[in-house]
This record gives sequence, structure tokens and C-alpha cells, in this order.
Amino acid sequence: MALAAIFAVQALADAQPVVAFPLYLTVVLLVSLQQNRVESIAVAVAAATAVLVIPLATAGRASDVAPAVLLAALLLGVAVAMGELARHERQASGEVQRRLSELAGRERRLRATVESAEVGLGLSDLEGRLLQANEPLAAMLGRSRDALAQATLIELTAEQDRDALKDALGMLGSGDITRWQADINQVRADGTPVPVAVFISKLPNTATGEPALLIQVRNTSASRRSDALRDGAAAVRQVIVTSAGLDQALPQVLAALCAHLGWDAGQFWSVDGDRQAMRVRCAWNASGAVVEGFLHASRGLAVANGAGLIGRVWRSGVLAGEADLESSPDLDRLEATRGAGLRSAVAFPVVDGGEVIGVVELVSEQARTPQDDEVTMLATAGVELGQFIRRSDTAQALRRSEADHRAIFERSPFGIARISSGGELMEANPALLHMVEHDEETMRTIAWPDLLHAYDQAAARQHKAPFLAGITDGSSVQVRAATGAGSWLWLQLTATSIPDSSGRPEHVLLMIEDVTVVRETSDKLAEALEAQRDANTNLEKLDRTKSEFLSIVSHEFRTALTGIQGFSELIRDGGLETDEVRAYGGYIFNDADRVNRLIGDMLDLDRMESGRMTMRSAEVDINEVLAEAVSRAVPSATAVEFKSDLDPRLPIVAGDRDRLIQVVSNLVNNAVKYSPEGGTVTVTTRVEGRFALVSVTDTGIGIPAEEIAHVFERFRRVRSGAAQSIPGTGLGLTIVKQIVEMHGGKIWVESAVGHGSSFHFTVPLAPEGAESLQQLRHG
Amino acid sequence: MAEANAGGTAVGQGSTAGTFTVLVADDNEVAQRLCKRVLEKAGYGVLIAADGLQAVDIAMSQRPAMILMDVAMPGIDGLEAMRRIKEQIPTMPIVIASAHSMASDRERFLAAGADNVLSKPFRLADLIAIVAKLASAT
Repeated sequence: MALAAIFAVQALADAQPVVAFPLYLTVVLLVSLQQNRVESIAVAVAAATAVLVIPLATAGRASDVAPAVLLAALLLGVAVAMGELARHERQASGEVQRRLSELAGRERRLRATVESAEVGLGLSDLEGRLLQANEPLAAMLGRSRDALAQATLIELTAEQDRDALKDALGMLGSGDITRWQADINQVRADGTPVPVAVFISKLPNTATGEPALLIQVRNTSASRRSDALRDGAAAVRQVIVTSAGLDQALPQVLAALCAHLGWDAGQFWSVDGDRQAMRVRCAWNASGAVVEGFLHASRGLAVANGAGLIGRVWRSGVLAGEADLESSPDLDRLEATRGAGLRSAVAFPVVDGGEVIGVVELVSEQARTPQDDEVTMLATAGVELGQFIRRSDTAQALRRSEADHRAIFERSPFGIARISSGGELMEANPALLHMVEHDEETMRTIAWPDLLHAYDQAAARQHKAPFLAGITDGSSVQVRAATGAGSWLWLQLTATSIPDSSGRPEHVLLMIEDVTVVRETSDKLAEALEAQRDANTNLEKLDRTKSEFLSIVSHEFRTALTGIQGFSELIRDGGLETDEVRAYGGYIFNDADRVNRLIGDMLDLDRMESGRMTMRSAEVDINEVLAEAVSRAVPSATAVEFKSDLDPRLPIVAGDRDRLIQVVSNLVNNAVKYSPEGGTVTVTTRVEGRFALVSVTDTGIGIPAEEIAHVFERFRRVRSGAAQSIPGTGLGLTIVKQIVEMHGGKIWVESAVGHGSSFHFTVPLAPEGAESLQQLRHG
Repeated sequence: MAEANAGGTAVGQGSTAGTFTVLVADDNEVAQRLCKRVLEKAGYGVLIAADGLQAVDIAMSQRPAMILMDVAMPGIDGLEAMRRIKEQIPTMPIVIASAHSMASDRERFLAAGADNVLSKPFRLADLIAIVAKLASAT
């Protein structure tokens, strides 16, 4: 366009260069101002060339060309200068423009940054009146920026933190501090608290205006929740680790969950033994009396599998929540939740080995929906609680078992000892120590080794294994043992081997029972049985003796009666000579007399043996008794010689004179009967200690050795058949022995066949009066 | 009269085969005398033994027609004597005359080989009847 203008100008200028020149100049100037450097120069060159062309073509003279060249150069120079000027001017204004737009961009970015920052930012005066606030701050506090601009920091802060904030503002204002930071709660427009970390710094005093405070507010609810979750999990774990049992742990776990996670109450529901329902086992009220109604309504409620929130968690085994209890199908407790003002609940399963054994329910007065991290934390707590319950159940069972065993050990009426596999006494219970009357030390060092030894000896006698060798069968052994007090007991030891986990005998449990009474009773019983057997034997013997006696007695009677009956029959039938009758009468008399004596002896013996015969106890001079007996015997014993060797100083004895005469007479008559013609019968008396000793000695046929022991038995004479032809009832010596023994003396016999016999008996001396009789006799 | 009749019978038998002799073995002198008196009166010959051994000796040496044997005697008793005699002379009639006169005794004696048993005390007629019976069987 510039060039077109130039060519237009050139056409006009044909007429007059001088006229064209200002036109050229105008074009060049316009072009220079508008166009860039190259264009304006090109236009200038074109204009200059146009100026030169005509003069060069028309004028041939140098002088005619010169003004044209000058004009061209001027045009060029003006064009360049003007172009440069214009460009420079243009450049200067572009820089300002650029800077301005840069500033605006930066401002935009800053604003965007401020607005999009995670932190809420605000600017206030020293009193805390907000001058500016960014959107995040507004959002954080749930208010519009306009509303914020009319608020003070104090108003935006929760009641409990206001004093601290006021103090801080005061100090910031006075310059005591330049910045302050704290975790406080601010309040949203709807009144809900917002946990924040606030950082306030005093801005430097700028030249322009008032000092201001830069307020940075960070919403810490997220980090606080994660902290709370972490702390809650740690608290639950702490409770689980330190608690002795479930019932101690449960309230603490619920309290920790409520405290750290901000729930108002918690309940632990456990599955009934029959797995038909769940019931509240433990509840925790972290809020106040209002919630109590809800807890009360839950108590005693039996929740079926699948019913309501609890039942659903039980069935599904996963955490579930009710953000709005009003729309919950848990009708059972709707009234209670309403009354308690509860709005939300969460329930998570307590799981052991994949099985739901309980449900923890947490309720809140606020509408809460657990977020993922809380869900994870609660689910983990459920698993940990489940493991703890199993552990504590096991541990409790173990403790109970241990306590049971300990109680048995301590209080058992039986002695119980634990013996090491090496045979050492490890432990003895009080009953054992009491039984054996030892203290534990003596029991271990002295009494137990003795007992062990006695056990082995007793076991060996019964062909049982020794104590340490293979006790597996609880075998019992009775041993005799001395107590610490020196008495003797019968102890029954029952040993049972207790294996360790690998089955090797680890120790031996020994039950020790005092069977002394039992044993002594059984011993006594055995004795009694033995005695009974003896008695039975005696009875049988007695029975035999009795029938034997009857047999012998009847034989004796019948023998005597044979003569009596036979001869009396002869006499009765008549036809006898007078001397025959006399002789037969004599036989009859003798046998009748014999029968009479037999009856007398038998009655005597019976009375003596049954204790019905009484002895008179009088002072008796034994020497006189002997003399009397001998004098009675002499007339019918003409074939023997009598000798007396009587001790003149023999004291009197206490006794029954008639009976003593019977004794001596019997012995003397026997001696006479068994003595051959010309034999000698000697009677002697001696003092033998506190007894009078009487002996009757003959020189007769003697008694065979095997008969000596039996001579005092009744009818022995008859049975042995010895000296059958010598008359006698066979009861004489038996009666003699009875009489002597009733006097407190003894009787015995010494004899040798062919040499004769000596019968000796003793009678106790009279304790008093002996001397007087002595005096009497010698006086 | 009974005695006379019995005696007559005995004498009659004794006369046909010599005198029918009875050995009375008894340690009781009264019993010996009674039997001797009664049996001789009845016409029998009587030998006396005072104990078991004597009875055996006399039975062997004198060969009586029968023996009236007591049981309770010194030395060997009547049963032992009977055993010994029967051993030598199995046909010898032996009547046990004992004061052991219970029922069991009677069985016992018969079992031991006695031909008859006479319980003491006895009626004289019973003694004569027993002897007469044996005498008639001879």
C-alpha cells in the first residue's frame, strides 16, 4: 500500500519533483510510523528511487541530478529516523503492557493459590477482626466469606478455647510474641466443632497501613481421627494385654473405643451357650443419663441371628452401621434409641477362628458413618478381642483347673506328695505332714527316704515293681511307718506316674492314706476269726470229747451193771448155794459202789469245770492232810511200805481241807494200786518259794513217756487200756488236777517205765497266820 | 427151768461132738465169773482169757467151739484179737460181748467180722440163746 501510494505520488510528481517530494516524505513518515524497520526502509528506498528516476532519465547533467540525490538521501534518512523513532516508541509502550499483564497473572496465580490452599488463610487486625479470608477457611468453618468478614476469630472459636485465643491476641498485639500456634476447636455456622491447628503471625508493619495478623487455619479433623483411631487401637490392645480376664477387659475396651472414637456408648453382645441368641454381656456409657435408657432397653434383650443391626452383623460377620437409626429396621429398640436421642450406630463382629462369638455395638448422638480407616480399625479390634476371648477362656479354664488341683492338694484329707523321677520329694501337702507329724524339711530328708525304702520292701514282698521302676498302674502298697511323734502308722501308698508332654514319666503323684485303723481292725478281725476258729475247733473237740465221754461213761456203767444185773438175776432165779449167794452179793455190791463213785466223780468234775463248786478257804496244815490220807490208805495197802518225809517247818496253806485230803488220797491210792508187792510209797513236803510242794512217789510200773502228757485227761486210763485191771473211775486224776488248780497250785508228774512215778503238786502258802501256826506247832 | 433146758441142749450137742467149749475173753473178773457160771451151768465148756493177746493164744492152742469176746481190754482189744483169730481160723464163730452198746457199735462190730453181738449188760437167757444157736449150727 505504501508502494502504491508512492507510485501514485510518482505519477503526480511527473509534473513537478518539488511538488512530489513533500508527498513522498509524508508517505515515508506514515510508513515508518506504522511499519517495521525493513518495511519503512524499503518504502524510503522506493521513494528515494522514485525521486531519482526522472531527473536521471531527463537530465544528463550531474548538476541536475544532485538535488534529486539530496532529496532521496533526505527521504531515506527521514524514513529511517522516523522508523526508528516510531519503533522505539512502540517498544517502550509494549514493555509496560507486558509488565502489567505479568503482574495481573501473578496476582491471579497468587489468588488461585490462596484460594485453593489446603489451609484456610485470613487476615485480621490485632483484635482478630477478619479483614480477608480465603475460600477454604470459609468452607472449613461452614460460612460464606462475607459472613466471615464480619466475624472475629474469637467468635469463630469454640467456647473452651476462647480464653487461650484471647490471651494470644493480647500478646500478639502488645508485641510480646510475633506468632502463636495451637490446636483448638472452631465452630461451624451450624455449631459443630471443627478441630483445627491455628497459626497466627503478626505481619511486619508496612509503610502503608495498620499492623495485621496472618491467620493460617488447618483442619485437623482428619489427622485427629487417624490419631484417635491409632490411639484407640493402641488402647484396646493395651487393655487386652494387661487384663486378667474378659469381664475385666470388656468395659475397658468399650470405654477406650468410646473415648478415642467419640462414641457415646458401647455394648458387648455375646452369643449364648446354645448359640440361639445374643445378649448384652457388658455395656459402657460414655455420655450420660440419657443413653442409660437405651442401655437398659438392650439389657436382657435376646437378639436372634439376623435380627436387627446386631443380628445382621452376627449373621454376616462383617461390620455394619446405621447412619440413621430412625430408618433402622431394629424395631425392638427404636423407642429406646429415640428416647436416648441416638442417631447412629455401628456394630462390628468379635471373631474367633472365623466364627462370630460376639458383637460390639457403638452408638452416637450424632449422625455418623464410619469411614474406611475407622472400619478397618474396628474390624481389627474385633479380631483382637476375639483372640483375647479365646485366650482368656483357655487361660481361665487353665486357672480354674489349676485352682481346683491346688485346692485338692491343699485340702485333701489324703496325704499327697509329688515325687521327682529321681525319687526326691518335691512337695507334700498339709494332710500328709499332719499325718506323719513331720515338718516339710524332715519329711523330705528323713521320713520320705524311709517311706520309699519301706515301699520297695513291701512291693518286693508282693512281687510288685519298686517305686521308681515303672509305676503306671496306680498300684497300692501298705507300709508301716513311724511318725515324727514316734507312733506307728499303717500307710497305704498309691503311686501314679505323671508323664510329661513327650510321654516320659516326669514325676510321680503319691497318694498316702492312713489305714492304721482299718489295718488294726482287720488284724483284730483276723485275730477274732482265728480265735473263733480255735473256739470252733475247741467246740468240735469238746463235742467229740463229750460224745466220747458219754460213750466211755455208758461203757463204764454198763460194765458195772453187767455184774449187777447178771448176778442179781442168778440170785433171783434161785437154786444157789448160800456161799454162792454171798459171793455174788459181794460182786453186786462192789459194782454198785463203783457206779456210785463214778456218779460222784462225774458230778464233782462237772461242778468244778462249770465253776459251781466252791472251795472253802481255811488254814490247812498240809503235813496233817498227808498223814490223814496215808492213814486211810494203809489198811487196804498191806503190800506196800509207806514213807513220809514231811518238812516240819512247812507253813500252813490256805485251802479246803477235805478237797486237799481227796487230792492226796487219790495220789496215794494210785501209787498203791500201781505198785507191785513190796513197793514203796513216799510222801514228802517242802517249801518251794511261796508254795508248799507235795510229792507222792511210788516204785510202781511207771507211765510211758507218750502217756505222761495225758495222765490228767479224763478216762485216759480206760482209753489207754493201761492197768485195766486196776479199778478206778478214770476221773480221779482229772479231779485232782482241778482241785489243785482251784487252789492256785500246779500239778505234774515225773515217771520212768519200770521205775515208778512221782506226782508233785503245789499249794500257795497262806499269806498270814503262817507264823502263828509255826509257833503253835513248835510251842 | 429155762437154764436147765438150755443146759440140756448144750450138753446134748456137746456129747455128740465132744464138749462145746466157749472161750470167754474179758478183762473184768466179775464178767468172767458170771459167764463161766452161766455157761457151765448150761452144759458148755468155758475157757477164760483176761486180755486180747491171751484170747488169741488160747483160741489158737485150744480151738474152742466159739469165742465170747469183750472189746475194751488191755493190750490188744477184742476187735484186734478177733481179726487175728479170724485170720488164722476164718470159721471160728466170735460173738462180741461189749458194754459199748450203742446202735453204731453193733454195726461196727458186725462189719469187723463178728458173727453176733451181745450187748452188756445182758439177760442170762440171751447169752445162752446166742451160744445155743451157734452150737446148734455147728
